[in-house]
Amino acid sequence: MIELVGAKTVRGVGNIGQFARFVLQAFTASLRSFARSQTYPLIWTQMLLIGVRSVPVIMVTGAFVGMTLAVQAYDQLAGMGLEEHLGVLINISVVKELGPVLAAVMLAGRVGGALTAELGTMNVTEQIDAVKSMGTDPVFYLVAPRVLACLLLTPFLIIYADLLGILGGYFVSVIQLGINNRAYWTFSAAGVELWDVAVGVVKGFFFGGAIAAISCYKGFTCKEGAHGVGQACTEAFVASFISILALDFALAVIFKAIYNTFWPFKSLVG
Amino acid sequence: MKKSDENNQTAAVSSNGVLSVKGLTKRFGSNVVLDNISLTIEKGKTTVVIGPSGCGKTVLIKHFIVLLRPSSGEVYFKNQRIDNLSENELNKIRTHYGFLFQGGALFDSLSVFDNIIFPIRQHYKITDWGLVEELVKAKLAMVGLDGFQNYYPANLSGGQRKRVALARAIALNPEVILYDEPTTGLDPIRADVINELVLKLQKELGVTTIVVTHDMTSAYKIADRIIMLHNGKIIADGDAEHIRNHPHPVVQQFITGQVSEDDLAVLRMSGTISQAQFLPRDFEK
Repeated sequence: MIELVGAKTVRGVGNIGQFARFVLQAFTASLRSFARSQTYPLIWTQMLLIGVRSVPVIMVTGAFVGMTLAVQAYDQLAGMGLEEHLGVLINISVVKELGPVLAAVMLAGRVGGALTAELGTMNVTEQIDAVKSMGTDPVFYLVAPRVLACLLLTPFLIIYADLLGILGGYFVSVIQLGINNRAYWTFSAAGVELWDVAVGVVKGFFFGGAIAAISCYKGFTCKEGAHGVGQACTEAFVASFISILALDFALAVIFKAIYNTFWPFKSLVG
Repeated sequence: MKKSDENNQTAAVSSNGVLSVKGLTKRFGSNVVLDNISLTIEKGKTTVVIGPSGCGKTVLIKHFIVLLRPSSGEVYFKNQRIDNLSENELNKIRTHYGFLFQGGALFDSLSVFDNIIFPIRQHYKITDWGLVEELVKAKLAMVGLDGFQNYYPANLSGGQRKRVALARAIALNPEVILYDEPTTGLDPIRADVINELVLKLQKELGVTTIVVTHDMTSAYKIADRIIMLHNGKIIADGDAEHIRNHPHPVVQQFITGQVSEDDLAVLRMSGTISQAQFLPRDFEK
C-alpha cells in the first residue's frame, strides 16, 4: 500500500516536472517566434482557427450569460424596489467573472479539444518524430504558434463575450422586463469601472496560456491508439477547466490586493 | 553467437564508420529492449537490420538519429558523440539524416509539395521559388511521382505515401538515410519498387543506408550487410551469404519463415478448432 502511494507520488511529481519543463520550452519558443518572420504565417493560421472561428460560439455564450442573469436577478431586486440597479449587477458579473470564465471554458472545449486531438494524432502517427528527424524543434514549429494564438486572442474573445453579455442583459432587462432605459445605463455606468473590465480582459491572457499549454502537452504525451487520443482530449479538457477556475480564484485575490493598494492614489491620476 | 559474428562486431566498432553505437542498452521500465549493443555502420554501404516483430529494430534505428536516448551506452556520428547533445545541437546534426518512417509520417494538412519543402523551409530562407519548384520536381521524379505536387496524403495509396515520404527524406541531400520497414504493408510489386529506389538512391547519391525490415526478399536484394537482432542482442552479422548459411537455429527459423517446434506445441495444446467453444446460435435468447 505504502509502496503504491509512494510510486504514484513519485510519478505525479515527475509529471508535474515534465509539464513545467514543457511550459518553459513552449513560452521560450513563443518568444523566439516573434523574432522569425518565417513563423508568422503559422501564427496567422492558428489565429484564424483558434480565434476568428471561435467568435460566433463565444458571442452566443456571452449573450445567454447576460440574458440568464437578468431573468434570475430581476425578481429579487424588484422585491426591494431596486430593479433599476439590475444593470450594475449584470454588467459587473459579466465583465469581471462570468464573461471571462465561461468564454474560457467554451474555448477549452472547442479549441483545447481540437489542439489535443490534432497533436495527439500527429504524435501516434510519428509526425512529431518526423518534424524532429528533419532538424526542427517540434515545440517551436507546432506549439509556439498555438500558444501565441491562444494567448493573444483570448482577451479579444472575452471582449466579445462581455459585449454580447451586456447587450443580452440589456435586451431582457429593458426590452422584455420594461426597466427604464436611462436609469439602467446610468446605474451601470456608475457601478462598473474601467478597472473591472480590464481585470476580466487580463484574465484572458492567463486562461488562454493555460488552455494552450495544457492541450498541447496532453497531445505531445498522448498514448498510442484511438483510445489514447480520446483519453488525452478528456484529460486536457478537465485539466484546463480546473486550471481556469483555480487561476480565476488566484487572479481575483491578486487583483483585489492590487486594487486595494492603489485605490487611495486613484484621485491623483484621475 | 558464432565467432565470426563477434569478430565482425569488434572489428566494426574499431573501424572508422560514419555511425556507431557502443554498449547501447535501452530499457522501457523493467523491459530491456536493447542489451549492450556495439555496432558501426560503414560509409556508403547498405546495412539491413532484421529480426522478429518487437525485437527492438525500430528502437535501434531511432537511436542512430537520437529520437530516443540510450539508457546507457553511446551513439556517434562521424566520430562525434551525439547522444549527450541538447535538442538544439542535435537539430543541426539531424540535417545530415533522412528518415523514412513506417507509415510515411507525412503531414496530413500539407500538400505533397509543402511536405517536401518542409525541411528546406525550416533551414533555408527561400528567395527563388522557381528553383524550389524545380527541386521538388526533381525529388518527385526520383521516386517516380512527378505531377503529384498538389495532391494531399489522404489522396495517395500506401506505396505512393512512402515514396513521397522518401522524396521528403532526401530533400536536404542527406548523408545517411534510415528506413523503418519500408516495404511493410505493400504488395510484392510495390515493395520491389521501394527496393529499387533504395538501391538507386544509394548508387546515385552515395548515401549510407540503414534499413529495418523483416522482409527477407528485400533484405537479400539491397543489403551489403545484414544484422539480426534477437532478445535485444545481435545474433548474426555478415553479408547475405553469411546469413543464409548461419548455423544459429533462430536465424535459420527467421530467414526461412518457419514456425518453431515450441510454437507448434503451444498450438497443439490449445486444442482443435472444432473443439473450440463457440456461442450457441440461439445465444440471444
